[in-house]
Amino acid sequence: MDYKFPKELKYTVTHEWVLLEDDIAIVGITDFAQHQLGDIVYVEMPDIGMVFERESNAGEIESVKAVGEIIMPLSGEIIETNSKVIDNPELVNSSPFEEGWIMKIKISHKDEVENLITVEEYIKVVESEEL
Amino acid sequence: MVKLDFIPHDQKTTQHMLEVIGLKSIEDLFQDIPKDLMLKRLNLRPGIPESDLLNELKDISKKSKIYNNAFLGAGCYYHYIPSLVDFIISRSEFYTSYTPYQAEASQGFLQAIYEYQTIITQLTKMDVANASMYDGSTALAEAALMATNITRKNKILMIEGIHPEYIEVVKTYCWGQNIEYDIIQLDSLDSKLDEEYAAVIIQSPNFFGEIEDLENIVNSVNKKYPKCLIIQVMTDPTCLGILTPPGELNIDIFVAEGQSFGISPSFGGPGLGILATKKEYLRKIPGRLVGKTKELNGEKEGFILTLQAREQHIRREKASSNICTNQALCSLAALVFLLCMGRTGLKNLASQNLQKANYTKKRLSKIPSYKILNSKPTYNEFLVVCPNLDLLIKYCEESNLLPPLKISKYIAHMDNIALVCITEMNSRKSIDLFLQAAKMSSSEGK
Amino acid sequence: MKPDTQLIFSKKSNISSNNYIPQLDIEEVEDIDTILPKKFQRADLNLPDIPEVDIVRHYVKLSKKNYGVDTGIYPLGSCTMKYNPKINELISRLPYFSELHPLQESNKGALKLIFELSNCLSEITGMEGFTLQPAAGAHGELTGLLIMKKYFEHNKIVKKKIIVPDSAHGTNPASAKMAGFSIIELRSNESGEVPLDQLEFAMQEKDVAGIMLTNPNTLGVFDRNINEITKIVHDNGGLCYYDGANLNPMLGICRPKDMGFDIVHLNLHKTFSTPHGGGGPGSGPVGVVEKLIPYLPEPCLITDDKGINCREKSPTSIGKVRVFWGNFGVLVKAYAYILSLGAEGLKRVGQFAVLNANYLRTKLQEKYHLPYDRICQHEFVLSDKNLPNGITTEDIAKRILDYGAYAPTIYFPLIVNGAMMFEPTETESKDSLDAYIDILIRIYEEATNNPELLKNAPHNTPVGRLDAVTAARNPILHD
Repeated sequence: MDYKFPKELKYTVTHEWVLLEDDIAIVGITDFAQHQLGDIVYVEMPDIGMVFERESNAGEIESVKAVGEIIMPLSGEIIETNSKVIDNPELVNSSPFEEGWIMKIKISHKDEVENLITVEEYIKVVESEEL
Repeated sequence: MVKLDFIPHDQKTTQHMLEVIGLKSIEDLFQDIPKDLMLKRLNLRPGIPESDLLNELKDISKKSKIYNNAFLGAGCYYHYIPSLVDFIISRSEFYTSYTPYQAEASQGFLQAIYEYQTIITQLTKMDVANASMYDGSTALAEAALMATNITRKNKILMIEGIHPEYIEVVKTYCWGQNIEYDIIQLDSLDSKLDEEYAAVIIQSPNFFGEIEDLENIVNSVNKKYPKCLIIQVMTDPTCLGILTPPGELNIDIFVAEGQSFGISPSFGGPGLGILATKKEYLRKIPGRLVGKTKELNGEKEGFILTLQAREQHIRREKASSNICTNQALCSLAALVFLLCMGRTGLKNLASQNLQKANYTKKRLSKIPSYKILNSKPTYNEFLVVCPNLDLLIKYCEESNLLPPLKISKYIAHMDNIALVCITEMNSRKSIDLFLQAAKMSSSEGK
Repeated sequence: MKPDTQLIFSKKSNISSNNYIPQLDIEEVEDIDTILPKKFQRADLNLPDIPEVDIVRHYVKLSKKNYGVDTGIYPLGSCTMKYNPKINELISRLPYFSELHPLQESNKGALKLIFELSNCLSEITGMEGFTLQPAAGAHGELTGLLIMKKYFEHNKIVKKKIIVPDSAHGTNPASAKMAGFSIIELRSNESGEVPLDQLEFAMQEKDVAGIMLTNPNTLGVFDRNINEITKIVHDNGGLCYYDGANLNPMLGICRPKDMGFDIVHLNLHKTFSTPHGGGGPGSGPVGVVEKLIPYLPEPCLITDDKGINCREKSPTSIGKVRVFWGNFGVLVKAYAYILSLGAEGLKRVGQFAVLNANYLRTKLQEKYHLPYDRICQHEFVLSDKNLPNGITTEDIAKRILDYGAYAPTIYFPLIVNGAMMFEPTETESKDSLDAYIDILIRIYEEATNNPELLKNAPHNTPVGRLDAVTAARNPILHD
């Protein structure tokens, strides 16, 4: 299958993507993830101001047939969530890397960035899941 | 040889099928089972034909007593069930079907459930109702869990006056998930409530028959702790024919036992758990929901199970509840009951309950040594101190009346206090007989 | 909106009838306002008043748009959609059953039935004590897991996890969570069975309470290592829970107790022929071995010289899982079923449920892919591997509806791609099975030569394929 893998982004093994802008991280789910979920019907966002640790569950994405967790790629505080996605959850399907972004985090531990994986490593993760 | 079962295969067919499968005998079908596990035989009686079965069960059934009139409620009620209810739920296209996963072949039942959800919202004025829970007690327990899920708090506060068995069920469910609970008197609500509680649970009309002033209670809770949810529970929702509906009282989650809506008492089950809530909690509702939608490639409207991603078959350990089979046929019974009653009928029913209970209360309190204990208005149940409750019960039995509840069954040291229930089914004649029994047990015995 | 889906509310009239409840026969009627303060009274009641004939026609019409076991074959895997004997309906409606109040003292008939049914279920499963309280299988699972939890708590052993195979029904992990446990999932091996080495490894952790299993499992295969499985769990201090949803093929053949299970739940609406009711009411009794009897929910029946009574409240009972005694109306039907079949009849259920399933399997695997190619028990699972032209399992299911039959369970268990789970049950005749096989073969041919027919199926049902996405994005849950 042909999934998009933008080269400028970082990834997690739990299928989130991260765009780093200094100490702010913009987070969403990948093209592969949205395809696995199917038509997305609802996104449960964390509240602004909430603080989560890396790898904890910040929210949920619901499709007709499945629910996926939004896992924090880095520890930090939620400073913004994408209200467009709340009204139009299908944006996550149609534009997972752009209009379908989910949340913005103020990173608390910059060194955690080392745990994120590169696009090549992520492609390998997807290939092994497809088997 | 004639067999007593529903298996439509003769010897020849069986042999042929085995050949197709490639086996010699029926025993070969079980070759994967370790030999030491194969049963020799079940130690049960041989089967019997339908006629004998009917006689035998009739005999067993007659070891219980049935009465002309009942003065007992306490969570299970005798109301009139229109003949139409059984007629409709006996249509086997309904009762031999299962969960409507293939929506296109199950539009009948799906629409019926949608209509049930609608009529419950009309009756309660809540935003949304689900397709059913097992009964009032488990609906209440699941509502408590739902509240802890919504608020992310781990404690609930129960107000005394909730049916004692309901409290037991809530306790068990809470223990399962390490949720704390406290039970307090209504008077202490202001002093005991704090921001640690996910919800306050109150029954109205309560176990003792009393109608609580919910408007005041809800206001006072909301003022101080707006994030605390309020759950109202009810064991006989026929009162909604006359009482203010929860949707107008800002109740967050409403649960009730729906047995009064067209379901026979049947020794306490099956019942019907009614659950309704505000629209902002929609995605946290346990249980099934039916939604209206359109065809993908057409214009027709249709009905479908929706928000299934909350449910166990998709969400598994993250599900809001584990409920799968619920009480669908009972919700159909409740729907037909409410349709038969209609606006006028339900209002009449409720006012008859109120009138007859009031009539009985007044006359009872005129008998020496009887004292009505309720200080608040009541619906169809009330609490009365009796001079000799055991004797009253004996005289009731002799007149073929199902006696009221001895409160001491649930609450220690409340001897000689009875919970009396009067519905539209209590004829004037039976009420007179009851009052007679009360008189007799008053003059005879202290 | 097409007239076909008019809701009942569109039939409302201005005629209010008083056809049902008794006429008011007390002479002194007070003004409602003196009995009940005005502030407690509702201002309006928005229920419709509908003539009886319109209610009847509406629901008769709806019933014709609904498919049940009485309509035709209903091979939903894991649901055991067998024929519901009509005599049981009649018996449950006998006044001396249906009119009983759960709190009435003179209840000997009801208690006797509950007690006798418990004994029958004990004999069938090998268990030593039963509660008939739970209202459904999932409710029984929760009850059984709470019993497990209480057992360990009482013995001051900390247990936090339950093992389930990846083939488990969704209620299993959901129930475990409601009982406060977290899950360890085991990956089934190529034979569809529990891998013993993984199980050994998982049981090394000190806080594993035990395992939840169904056998035969959701793939329809009997796990040949069941004795070893339960031994491993017991040797490591755990308990074994049996999900009885798949008990049908084992009736009279084999018992959960003998397999080594400590707790069992049953689904009376599956194995014991009580109707599914469109989604309930069911009943999920729970049976336990002797050492777990003190933990059963109250009230618990025992027999002594006074007859059948409730035991003294056990200090270690898990409490109550619902009010009163259980879904008594359902218990009556199950008891009648067991009595009418008797020992031999029950065994024939097991035998013919498996015969029918294997016959169906043998015929269907000529065209469809069977991932676990071995003798099945009461059900088997096909995958979407052989489907041509990008046809999906859903397409097949929807096309079956066009032929007036019902689809199997689809997309479960999760470990098979595009799973189609078939459970014909023992009450289907060979003719009925052959007709169904014909349909499935014909559909396969259509998938090959005329896939569009399937992709847009169903065509012959009251509505075509429905939009589930919009229904979930913007739910409309009432009018």
